Amino acid sequence: GPEFHNLQELRQSASLANKVFIQRDYSEGTVCKFHTKLPSELDSRIEKTLFEDTVKTLNNYYAEAEKIGGHAYLEGCLACITAYLIFLCMETRYEKVLKKISRYIQEQNEKIYAPRGLLITDPIERGMRVIEISIYEDRSSSGSSTSSSTTSSSGR
Amino acid sequence: MPSSSKSGGVSGPTSPPHPTVPSRPLRPSRYVPVSAATAFLVGATTLFFCFTCPWLSEQFSVAVPIYNGIIFLFVLANFCMATFMDPGIFPRAEEDEDKEDDFRAPLYKTVEIRGIQVRMKWCSTCRFYRPPRCSHCSVCDNCVEDFDHHCPWVNNCIGRRNYRYFFLFLLSLTAHIMGVFGFGLLYILYHTQHLDQVHSAVTMAVMCVAGLFFIPVAGLTGFHIVLVARGRTTNEQVTGKFRGGVNPFTNGCWKNVSRVLCSSQAPRYLGRKRKSQTVSVQPPFLRPQLSEAQLAAKVLDNGIQGDLHRSKSSLEMMESQSADAEPPPPPKPELRYPGLSRASKSSLLNKAPPTPTMFKYRPTYSSPGKNHTALTHAYANQMSRGDSLKESSSSLLQSSQQQGYRSEPSLDGREGGGGERGGAERSAGSQGAPLGSGMPGYSLGGRSYPSFSDPTVLSGGASHSSSVRSSHNVPASEATTSTSYKSLANQTPPPAPRNGSLSYDSLLTPSESPDFESAAPELSPRQPRTPVLGYSSPFLSAQIAHQREAELHQISSSSSSLLASPHRGAYLRSSASSPPLPHPHHHHHHHHHHHRPTRFSRPPLLSDPGSLSYSSAAAAEMQYRLVRKASASVGEGHTGTKDEIQMRSYSRTNGQPRTFLPQSPPSTPSSPSNPISISTRPGHAYASVASPQSPTHKTGGGVKKVTGVGGTTYEISV
Repeated sequence: GPEFHNLQELRQSASLANKVFIQRDYSEGTVCKFHTKLPSELDSRIEKTLFEDTVKTLNNYYAEAEKIGGHAYLEGCLACITAYLIFLCMETRYEKVLKKISRYIQEQNEKIYAPRGLLITDPIERGMRVIEISIYEDRSSSGSSTSSSTTSSSGR
Repeated sequence: MPSSSKSGGVSGPTSPPHPTVPSRPLRPSRYVPVSAATAFLVGATTLFFCFTCPWLSEQFSVAVPIYNGIIFLFVLANFCMATFMDPGIFPRAEEDEDKEDDFRAPLYKTVEIRGIQVRMKWCSTCRFYRPPRCSHCSVCDNCVEDFDHHCPWVNNCIGRRNYRYFFLFLLSLTAHIMGVFGFGLLYILYHTQHLDQVHSAVTMAVMCVAGLFFIPVAGLTGFHIVLVARGRTTNEQVTGKFRGGVNPFTNGCWKNVSRVLCSSQAPRYLGRKRKSQTVSVQPPFLRPQLSEAQLAAKVLDNGIQGDLHRSKSSLEMMESQSADAEPPPPPKPELRYPGLSRASKSSLLNKAPPTPTMFKYRPTYSSPGKNHTALTHAYANQMSRGDSLKESSSSLLQSSQQQGYRSEPSLDGREGGGGERGGAERSAGSQGAPLGSGMPGYSLGGRSYPSFSDPTVLSGGASHSSSVRSSHNVPASEATTSTSYKSLANQTPPPAPRNGSLSYDSLLTPSESPDFESAAPELSPRQPRTPVLGYSSPFLSAQIAHQREAELHQISSSSSSLLASPHRGAYLRSSASSPPLPHPHHHHHHHHHHHRPTRFSRPPLLSDPGSLSYSSAAAAEMQYRLVRKASASVGEGHTGTKDEIQMRSYSRTNGQPRTFLPQSPPSTPSSPSNPISISTRPGHAYASVASPQSPTHKTGGGVKKVTGVGGTTYEISV
């Protein structure tokens, strides 16, 4: 099919139907962690294990970013010594991990989610409060049982 | 690199806030403290280096000015970082994150953090439930992560990202002041015969400045050293959140300190380059295979989070909607939450909250059974009482199944924090007195977070405190007058999310402001005011939350009386101690007349296990949100004075508790305290209600609730 380079073009065959927001799991404090439970809206769209793996991997990334270790400490010391001018040229550990996360999400989208009509948005765009998952529906009528057309409204 | 978190002009005439223009008004007075601080710091240090150091370096060693120079550089660097760095501002939630109509979403959402119940409040400005430790700063008009306080001396909020720099600034400034004072003294001691010289005079002047600032700065530094060691924020400390309780955010002294000093710089949320989505989504879409067993499991599982009917409808929204022609009958409470044992409290809360579905993208959905569209229309069109009730109840059922942590506006027009901060600004001038040795900056600045534990502050800041409430109530009343009372009056209690849409206020934490502004139960339905909910539930357990939820679905008409008295606190308390309610439906009907009012009261509704208070509370909360939404849409530019005035009038109205509800159940012994508690003097309110409250407070046996200002509540099982 034609290559779509932005979501707007996708309206022709698939339309955004809904958005699901995976909330933060605060059971262990304010560390960045998301709930791994598959929301019911996605139950019929993606396998539970795939979804859980995605969220668990993200959680691990965030844990790595927030880890208080020698590396972060050295970074802090260096920043102090240079009167924080080092931030002009150096990327912090957290930012590095965020880049990794962004790449991971992109890859997950390409491989797993887009083929299922879903898209994950990087949580950093939402202040790391939620993972936004967009659910797309097949606009054109097809034989698929769950994507029946919207035009079949009966007098509604 | 630090990015400025401040917007608005640098200087210039103050322009009045435009209701239509969302930009913040210019407030040159904001920059006075930071300018003064900078002037003193740079000026005095420069004089020190010019007049005192040359002699010292000759007499003793060149290390003197070098040492002082390094320290001063450190002070400046940390000062700049604290001033210009984004403290961790959350970007406003986008519209699609707002899952439901505001008046159906609960005001609070509860999560359990390491076994302690923490309440997250809905931020109407930012449109999300504030994460734990997040608070909305009215000066900056932003929700800040790990909000510590708003510091007037750097004219910036101190939050997760820049707390480290602020802390180091304090430490280094203390060292710097001590150094300047010490070396100045050394100079003077060697020049006692030449005190008439310019150099000596300047040195003495610098010493005076240094000595003057040393006491508050050192006090503040000591205060923050204690805070860091205990793993608390200033916000939590001054609001007494953990007074006598357990801090769920502490990891021990060593880990707390290392977290502040040694963690990696947290990323900023604002101003990030948004990556455009390059992945194409094209049908046909893969679908997972659902087996029969999975479907069956889903049905049962969804009993807690929503029954099959709802999930089906949400998933198959594109299908023919004839099935949704009628609202589904409410499932029985027992069936509804089959897995919810009355005993297990954490199991439910530890489960992932169901992700609220957003219905906005449903194209042609117009079923009355479906929530917000109908409700929105009802709300906007001022439907008749019966209609609205029916629709809202049906939609309630729907939405309640979803468990929503729906977005919902809190009561204030702008923001609770906004109100209180605004009040702080107004009353700041009158206060003046430092709250304590450790926090001079907070009161002097006027804009920093006020300490609620200080009655002086509270009384001095009556307007301030009242503005906290008023900001919640006033816009509500405005909104009520401007929008439909009917929808307010007609609303049925909102579907309680699993974790309770109730707001509880512990009497022990008087300082909590925005949190406590639930609807006012004192007001009669006739009055176009936002009811203020006053709960004083010492504990919240999952079972209670579930019970409430179940009961909510039973609520039927006569929701208007629900406006009057939310007893959520009482409900929670009593219900926790009593076995599950046998006839929640029955109780609901019965009791929604009860209007327990202010958050500070702890009505010992032991005779009424609580469905009633809950339903009334829920109803009040619902309207609360409704009003919030309306008021939010009405305008954000409420001035402080207006809030004050309205608040005062409101509180006066609140002062007459039982006049509107003649049928109040006999169990209103604490009603006399209500007027007091609702008053605009939270400090006094707390004092007055403290005694009557405590005996009843402990009935629940085992959960103490501590609340704080950021909209979070902590419940500690004793």
